[in-house]
Amino acid sequence: MNAFFNLLKLAWVQLIRHRVRSSLTILGVASGMFLFTAVETLQRSLAKATAATAADTTLVVYRENRFCPSASRLPEHFADEIRRIDGVREVIPVKILVNNCGASLDVITFRGVPEGLLKKFAPEIEIVAGSEGAWSKRDDAALLGETFAKRRGLKPGDQFDAAGVTVSVAGILRSPFPQDNNVAYVKLPFLQHASKSGLGVVTQFMVRVHAVGSLESVANAIDEQFRSTQFPTDTRPEKAFFAETAAELIELIGFTRWLGVGAVIAVTALVANALLLAVRGRVKENAVLRTLGYPGRAIACLVVGEGGMLGLAGGLFGVGLGAVFLRWQSFTMGNEGQTLAIQPDAFVVTAGISAALLLGVLASLWPAFQAMTQPIVKNLRS
Amino acid sequence: MNETMIHCQAVSKSYKKGNTLVTPLESLDLEVPAGEFLALMGPSGSGKTTLLNLLSGIDSPSSGKLVIHGTELSGLSRRDLTAWRARNVGYIFQLYHLIPVLTAFENVELPLLLSPLSKRDRHARVVAALDLVSLTDRMHHTPSELSGGQEQRVAIARALVADPPLLVADEPTGDLDRESANRILELLQQLARRHGKTIVMVTHDARAAAAADRTLHLEKGVLLENP
Ligand SMILES: Nc1ncnc2c1ncn2[C@@H]1O[C@H](COP(=O)(O)OP(=O)(O)OP(=O)(O)O)[C@@H](O)[C@H]1O
Ligand SMILES: [Mg+2]
Repeated sequence: MNAFFNLLKLAWVQLIRHRVRSSLTILGVASGMFLFTAVETLQRSLAKATAATAADTTLVVYRENRFCPSASRLPEHFADEIRRIDGVREVIPVKILVNNCGASLDVITFRGVPEGLLKKFAPEIEIVAGSEGAWSKRDDAALLGETFAKRRGLKPGDQFDAAGVTVSVAGILRSPFPQDNNVAYVKLPFLQHASKSGLGVVTQFMVRVHAVGSLESVANAIDEQFRSTQFPTDTRPEKAFFAETAAELIELIGFTRWLGVGAVIAVTALVANALLLAVRGRVKENAVLRTLGYPGRAIACLVVGEGGMLGLAGGLFGVGLGAVFLRWQSFTMGNEGQTLAIQPDAFVVTAGISAALLLGVLASLWPAFQAMTQPIVKNLRS
Repeated sequence: MNETMIHCQAVSKSYKKGNTLVTPLESLDLEVPAGEFLALMGPSGSGKTTLLNLLSGIDSPSSGKLVIHGTELSGLSRRDLTAWRARNVGYIFQLYHLIPVLTAFENVELPLLLSPLSKRDRHARVVAALDLVSLTDRMHHTPSELSGGQEQRVAIARALVADPPLLVADEPTGDLDRESANRILELLQQLARRHGKTIVMVTHDARAAAAADRTLHLEKGVLLENP
């Protein structure tokens, strides 16, 4: 054990005293891991937004065969009928207005909801700045999701306009439902008026059911109810709705996985190349160590130690930078009015750093094998 | 004190070079008592380095018997031979072969890193070895900051630090000026006489050979007392 740590220390000394070579390699690894972190963050943010969990109790009622919020038009009074359906705990009619219906990195989504109903519909929502009182005072008041406010640098008292609507910020909210944190809540009549869709018309209904197991049966009951009306509906669990509506976005994000794979391969090749060069440049040094009584596995341990440290250093640097960057930028991807906040979590950071360490070790196996099988006598003569 | 350190009996070594077989050493006999300082001379290509490599266990004979410090080397596995080497032989090279990025102290410490010694014990032994070659004041210098003679003394300290009974030196003064060379030779003499090390030194220089207790000439694979 003692010997092992001494070897690692020796590997460390080799690294820090070949400063230029090590820095360049670490920089390369860091770039790769930065990309890896971005891709993994995307993937995980998406997984969190689409993977159904046992705690999901929300349904979205949308106009059948419509995908863009401006195309889904439903009469507001459907809410009363939905509320009477068995298993429904609460319903809220929502008018949605987005600045951009296509895929975008900076999408702004307004959700118009009847005053007073939001609290009842989602008691989990917490006001972290400003107040609800301020919200009820003004017609054009908005409650911003935390992520959205951060991305735009908005705080209570500020005004902003988007999609032809000007609102004033009354407060900031935090919700356990990811979508809430990316939107601006305004009053329903205000938004109906501002978007010129007319009073009484909403985009969707959000429905909370009493029991998790009843999501499907309630959804069927709702669609059945309106099947023969002028406005047939399509009701889905919130996350499934997201997955279907933002399908293009999801496909795009799925593709980025290949970028992550590319980053991983590049990092491995880079470390392997750096170590192969180092091993070649040190044939004599290694032959001397062997002469001093270092067994082949000690030489291999030195190489793998260097690989692991390069990987770990590059990982800490690249993943750390990536996480800080994404957190600071708080990108939100939007598509058809659905938003996806790209936020790194502890899992991405731990996984990224461990992956970098592992890649460094893997990349050093072949160079290590080369180093330990070099002929001593021939290399001393060279 | 008259035990045998090196016992070579009918030792041969050949290398394949393309299609031809080069045999630098053929049926060589050699007996070196412990504590002797032996000089080995001979023309270039006569197999001197090859012999040192066999004696130090970094190469193995093609045939013959090689017993060093009571151990029959051909009976050892690669792994055991490596461990044996760490305990029994110190190798001194003509071009010192210090690791350039390590300080004198760190270079000398290398042979001890795999031993179970504590950090403090290692430190004490490295300092003692550097003291023996009078370089304690240079221990934090890297090889590029030392003269050739100093580098060779560091290399000698490195060969000594694990306290092996046998030192082999391949033209240790070949690259040094007269004065530095003399200093190295005195040092080797002192190691044999005062510390009981057995030393086999290859040299091209008759004056260097004169520092040894005995000189042997290697010619065409055969050892001669007087050429
Ligand atoms: N690994 C090897 N592979 C092939 N041939 C070798 C090898 N090692 C030594 N030889 C050959 O063996 C012969 C003896 O070489 P060796 O290095 O022992 O000579 P030397 O006496 O040390 O010479 P010098 O005084 O020039 O150092 C030479 O002909 C050399 O080419
Ligand atoms: Mg030679």
